[in-house]
Amino acid sequence: MLEVSNLEVAFGPVAPLSGVSFALDKGETLGIVGESGSGKSLTAMSVMGLLPLSGGRITAGSIVFDGQELTTLSEPAYRRLRGGRIGLITQNPMTSLDPLQKIGPQVDKVAVLHLGMTAREARARTVEILGTLRIPEPALICERYPHQMSGGMKQRIVIAMALAADPDVLVADEPTTALDVTVQAQIIRLLDDLVKERDLSLVLITHDMSVVAQTCDKVVVMYAGRAIEHGPVGAIFGAPQHPYTQALIGCIPKGLGQDEQLTGIPGTVPTVLNYPKGCPFHPRCPRAQGICATDRPAHVTQGDSAVACHFPGERA
Amino acid sequence: MTSMTGTAARAMAGFGNTSLGRAFGSWLGKIAGGFLILLVLVAIFAPWITPFDYAAQDLMNGNAPPGWPHLLGTDQFGRDVLSRVIYGARTSLSVSATAIAISIAVGMTLGAAAGYFGGLFERAVMTVVDLTWSFPDILIALIFVAIIGPGLTSTTFAIAIAYLAQFTRLTRAQIVRLKRETFIEATINLGAKPRHILQYHLLPNAIAPVIVVGMLAIGDGIVLEATLGFFGLGAQPPTPSWGAMMSSGTAQLFLSPWVIIFPGVVVAVTVIAVNLFGDELIRALDIRDRIRGA
Amino acid sequence: MTHQLEVRNLSKQFSSPGGPFRRARVMHAVNDVSFDLPKGRVIGVVGESGCGKSTLARLILRLIEPTTGTLHFEGQDLRAKSAAEMRRLRADMQMVFQDPYSAIDPRYTVARAVMEPFEVQGRKPQGSAAEEVDKLLSMVGLNPGLAGSYPHQISGGQKQRVGIARALALRPSLLVLDEPTASLDVSVQAQIISLLEQLRDDLGLTYLFISHDLSLVRYFCDEILVMYLGRVVEALPDTGLAARHPYTKTLMDSTFAPDPAQRRVIAPLEGEVPSPFNLPPGCAFADRCPQASDLCRTQTPELAARDGHAVACHHPL
Repeated sequence: MLEVSNLEVAFGPVAPLSGVSFALDKGETLGIVGESGSGKSLTAMSVMGLLPLSGGRITAGSIVFDGQELTTLSEPAYRRLRGGRIGLITQNPMTSLDPLQKIGPQVDKVAVLHLGMTAREARARTVEILGTLRIPEPALICERYPHQMSGGMKQRIVIAMALAADPDVLVADEPTTALDVTVQAQIIRLLDDLVKERDLSLVLITHDMSVVAQTCDKVVVMYAGRAIEHGPVGAIFGAPQHPYTQALIGCIPKGLGQDEQLTGIPGTVPTVLNYPKGCPFHPRCPRAQGICATDRPAHVTQGDSAVACHFPGERA
Repeated sequence: MTSMTGTAARAMAGFGNTSLGRAFGSWLGKIAGGFLILLVLVAIFAPWITPFDYAAQDLMNGNAPPGWPHLLGTDQFGRDVLSRVIYGARTSLSVSATAIAISIAVGMTLGAAAGYFGGLFERAVMTVVDLTWSFPDILIALIFVAIIGPGLTSTTFAIAIAYLAQFTRLTRAQIVRLKRETFIEATINLGAKPRHILQYHLLPNAIAPVIVVGMLAIGDGIVLEATLGFFGLGAQPPTPSWGAMMSSGTAQLFLSPWVIIFPGVVVAVTVIAVNLFGDELIRALDIRDRIRGA
Repeated sequence: MTHQLEVRNLSKQFSSPGGPFRRARVMHAVNDVSFDLPKGRVIGVVGESGCGKSTLARLILRLIEPTTGTLHFEGQDLRAKSAAEMRRLRADMQMVFQDPYSAIDPRYTVARAVMEPFEVQGRKPQGSAAEEVDKLLSMVGLNPGLAGSYPHQISGGQKQRVGIARALALRPSLLVLDEPTASLDVSVQAQIISLLEQLRDDLGLTYLFISHDLSLVRYFCDEILVMYLGRVVEALPDTGLAARHPYTKTLMDSTFAPDPAQRRVIAPLEGEVPSPFNLPPGCAFADRCPQASDLCRTQTPELAARDGHAVACHHPL
């Protein structure tokens, strides 16, 4: 459905993304996980064709969606795709809705624009979608303004907008980060159900390894603009090969009680402006040797997984 | 404790240097800033650089056009226009700068107290201050002239009061914004007294936008001083002031236009330079939002 | 034995006076909270946004004045202290704040920030100022070479370490940690947590740990207080215990493990946290609770303990 290979992005002389590859089938959920500045949101923007807005461009690699190459697509063609066959759910539901417009018209617009529906047809569709998202009294909600609704409800509206044009792929950028834990669980459940019922492909961008473990089929672990490891969740969580993936999992309490010891990863998370040379993780890596500081490791494929490390292997 | 204040002084000097340096970074900043520095130097060294005594009359040589030895000509009494413009810079700059300094001192104190203590006190201060803002500047000047008579003292107080509201409001807005910052709460939680919070955290962090707005206000103050001088409410003869010179030039507008043109041009160029440099400073300090927010 | 901290019936109401265009409203931010914090223990306060946990932290340190209730710190009645006495006492009870990005004055160097506590309290460090800076920075795992840096020159994790060094400068006995890792990356969060664990052991500190993250609280704390809309709904004396309050159960079920083999079935929970203004009568969770009865909607359940495990619910699990 969606295949990204060796994606490289540049903003002027800065290259915040390089060597990102992953593939996503119909009905699959792919997690892109990483810390701040790892390039995970940039990956989403690249897929959505939104890079030119902020002055970035794709310098290498390809994005193929349903057999169509997207990196060379014209902007008008991209506009039909974006919000149409590829839906986007943004991080902050508070700012992704127009505060001056009622909910109904905001959601209707998508179907009018992408499916060529009349206003009346679009409204009927909006009410139906809001209903499937378990929003109580959808017809009434259409007449409300965003400020009259809670954060979780607003996020549901944003999801409804992403669904309105009946997309094949949903890209969700930190859809639950701004929400409370119990509301987060509800939204995750909702996304899960949508993927199953509509046979959607979901790209879930998150900083939270636990959310990935809970929802995703595959995962891409990103660090400093590189996809350092990717594969099926079972393999990545069960037997991570990259020292960063191992350390990241070790940073999360597992509820084992007294036996557990969180260690953290020494050093600081690099920002785009100071990505290290060679393997980007080498300054914080317990396994790093001379070669790690100079040569960038290539991806080594092993079954369905791949890892970019000079010394891959399970934790000693 | 002395090492503490030493560190602070060094930090402040470094801070000022870099932002000032950045304000001079663009060619606009260089030209505007250069002109202002020149103007201040000219005002300071006026007695040494003026070719003639600003008050010396030469009635035989009145209304002489620009040329030699009177580069910018003479006025109806034969006084050298260049010398009077140079001395006028002294009057204009010192009156405006003194007035704005008073305004900042009073405004920052009132604004900081209002912002910090809040409540009824804040309301009372802000109401009075807003009242001063609602009077036209000229009217305030007239009140002072009525009380203490025309002259530079009235002008200074009038300008100071005219800009008081601006500095009070700006400072109060800064303090209210800063009070919500975590480091203020953290410092209170260390056991700091209000005085410590104000002196070491709130005021130092609030001062940058106030200084920049003060700088811009000096430009406006120069215009206001010239206006009051033009109406005869400011500097009294023979003290040269740009406004008073223009006023006296109106009588011979067509006979000797240079008497009114040169002070007018200097006022305009000075105000433009002040504003351009102020803008550069705002950009260099990155405080545009904070000034607009006031 | 006196406890480090004894909190009794602590409440805080914020009221916004009415005017021509708005109704007067009262917000019950914290409602009748009582607990003991023994010396050397770590109590975690967990809850979602708006549950009053951050207000509780500030009430305990009297950064906000409580409406009612009593506070005893090492046996001393905090609410009876004058402003000057309170300022001196603050040296013993410090706080680490959620947002390291604004927790240090942007005009202060790291050295000046960690020495400010001495300046404020009019105390002298044991050695020279420079030695003390070195000692404090090393204690929180920072390179003493950073002493001359300004906040904008260091990372979020380093800023939080500076915040901790500042809080520890006067050697307090109680540290209130208000979501100290919520705005940090996961790998840095784990660093800070293990630093806090090590400091507790080295310095014999007592912590009150405020967080929205139940798995972190279960990992880090000895006891847990679960808050919902200003009230403590459950007090677990041991982090391994199962939930007895339906809300705690929901919270636990909404927390995922970083292990795909332990996936949960998320039960749909309707509704969201109601507004803390104009609370409904009865149990605040009743509207969302699968067990709720008519009793729950009329009568507020009291916190009742069984074997030290207290729960405020008419129908505990």
